[in-house]
Amino acid sequence: MLRSLQGLVCRSLKLDHGCVLHTAARDGLSSVSSQDVPAENPRAVFHTSESDPAKHTEQHEGRLYNIPLEEVKAVFPHGLPYRFQQQIQTFNEARVMVRKPALELLAYLKGSNFAHPAVRYVIYGERGTGKTMTLCHVVHYCSRQGWLVLHIPDAHLWVKNCKELLQSSYKKDRLDQPLQASVWLKNFKSSNERFLQEIKTQKKYMWGKQESTEEGRPLGEVVEQGLARVRSASDAVGVVLREIKQQSHRGSFRLLVAVDGVNALWGRTSLRKEDKSPVSPEELTLVHNLRKMVRNDWSGGAIVTTLSQTGSLFKPSSAYTPQELLGKEGFDALDPFVPIPVPNYSPREFESCYGYYLERKWLQHEKAHTEDGKAELRFLSGSNPRQLDRLAGPL
Amino acid sequence: MAAPSAAGLCRRLRAWLPRIMPVRWSRYNPSYLEPEVKTEAYQKPLEELTEEEKEQMELKAVRPIKAAPPTLSSSVFSDPMISKFTNMMMKSGNKVLARSLMSQTLEAIKRKQLEKYHKAPENEKETIECNPYVIFHQALKNCQPIIGLSSITRGGKTYQVPVPLTDNRKRFLAMKWMITECRENKHRRTMMPEKLSQELLLAFNNEGPIIKKKHVLHKMAESNRAYAHFRWW
Repeated sequence: MLRSLQGLVCRSLKLDHGCVLHTAARDGLSSVSSQDVPAENPRAVFHTSESDPAKHTEQHEGRLYNIPLEEVKAVFPHGLPYRFQQQIQTFNEARVMVRKPALELLAYLKGSNFAHPAVRYVIYGERGTGKTMTLCHVVHYCSRQGWLVLHIPDAHLWVKNCKELLQSSYKKDRLDQPLQASVWLKNFKSSNERFLQEIKTQKKYMWGKQESTEEGRPLGEVVEQGLARVRSASDAVGVVLREIKQQSHRGSFRLLVAVDGVNALWGRTSLRKEDKSPVSPEELTLVHNLRKMVRNDWSGGAIVTTLSQTGSLFKPSSAYTPQELLGKEGFDALDPFVPIPVPNYSPREFESCYGYYLERKWLQHEKAHTEDGKAELRFLSGSNPRQLDRLAGPL
Repeated sequence: MAAPSAAGLCRRLRAWLPRIMPVRWSRYNPSYLEPEVKTEAYQKPLEELTEEEKEQMELKAVRPIKAAPPTLSSSVFSDPMISKFTNMMMKSGNKVLARSLMSQTLEAIKRKQLEKYHKAPENEKETIECNPYVIFHQALKNCQPIIGLSSITRGGKTYQVPVPLTDNRKRFLAMKWMITECRENKHRRTMMPEKLSQELLLAFNNEGPIIKKKHVLHKMAESNRAYAHFRWW
């Protein structure tokens, strides 16, 4: 009976709450802007001109920094989320937000001792909160610092939808995936050219009966071999991983192993052998070699991984914690690790993202420029970065 | 079924009354009031309300209120024309799919226009329209025919008689032509948002197959002017 009055009261409470958050965020941003003032453009409060991730501090938190487009092509031949790639193409620039989890990770990397075994970092969080973008931020930092970056864009792609499964010539009970391996080798080559000339092989490798790579040849030859003979691409990947791991402790280069969707390595696959029996992940060469890479028995670098429910197989959609997604086997294999949770946008980050969309003319609807529109966007997206991006698309 | 008669029937025919009673399209008791979804109506403080508004509020406290239909939205971004177009695109009640196709279409239009905008030189930037809603409304307006044809049978023969169209009919024809054009005359593998965004942009510039269809209809009406006196309404 008193439904409508109750509705009135609830709605006025909600509006007050929204106003309080809004003013808090405004105060936060205005205090920052008084410290370093880009005077001409009031909207440029959301940007920072510091495009070197090594110099990012808490002062830059919530701001967007620019990555030049040539660098994007060189550092990220694969690995950026699809919607972000579309955004780069539409806006003609690549702007990444500096957020707390990434700053935390960068601080750990800067202060880590590379004589000790590699530390494993697991970035986890709910769907669409920015785990892959945090990983990309760290990858950009490491490539700027001159590290060798081993970036696997999505490990889930290696355990599902594989058109060709060949029996491995190296070990009888393992299965090769030539297509996935050759795609990865091509992207790896384009991002790490100079290391492939510097690192030399330490053993002689036989590819089949006639072809071989001698000891002391540059690693680029192994990669060329894998690209030319697609049948042995998975073995080439294994050789590359092994060589890099063995030589990382010498200190001539730092190694970053960046794996997105690491929970794919210990889950189930949706692949089947010819006799329709299911394939478990250890039977795949690529997964087997990657598991060895993610173990902490080498030094001279770091391992940064991301959990992902979105591409995962046979996991409920509400699962996001490491325990649920990795399962017992994966957790034991990755234990001990440093967990890094990634939350939704804070009010300041939301303001920053909203301001960026307005400035780039991405929010075209007239009502989107008003306070009501902003409040509605904030409510509907729940400050989740992916939902905000999806909502702002048609507006 | 209205509330009093349902109460009477219930006792006699309890066995075959369905568990879920449809509410909206049944006849509501006249005492039920319409729901108010606009947030502005609830944001006015109590002192600013006029006498009639205060009476209305008190009436709403004691009378029951009809269920709000799913198309009625309190969002500031809702647009009746877009909802109508989405409903026309919907197949077998799959509103989720139709709505997602509509939002992908609007996003595709926006992306194409923004890319053109950022690549254009300074003096041409004002001429490029980037707002997908403006483009949508203008495109449909350009597709609306002014005059239509109606079949009237006189003396055994059927004539196509030019006839004025109501606003609703014009809007309906424009949307129907747009959707049928995209569904039928395109390559099988292109996605609907891509086809629709292309057609909407062409119609915005007064080009494309739908504008041609409208012109053909106008020409037919012009050529059949002689039969206009057959119309009796």
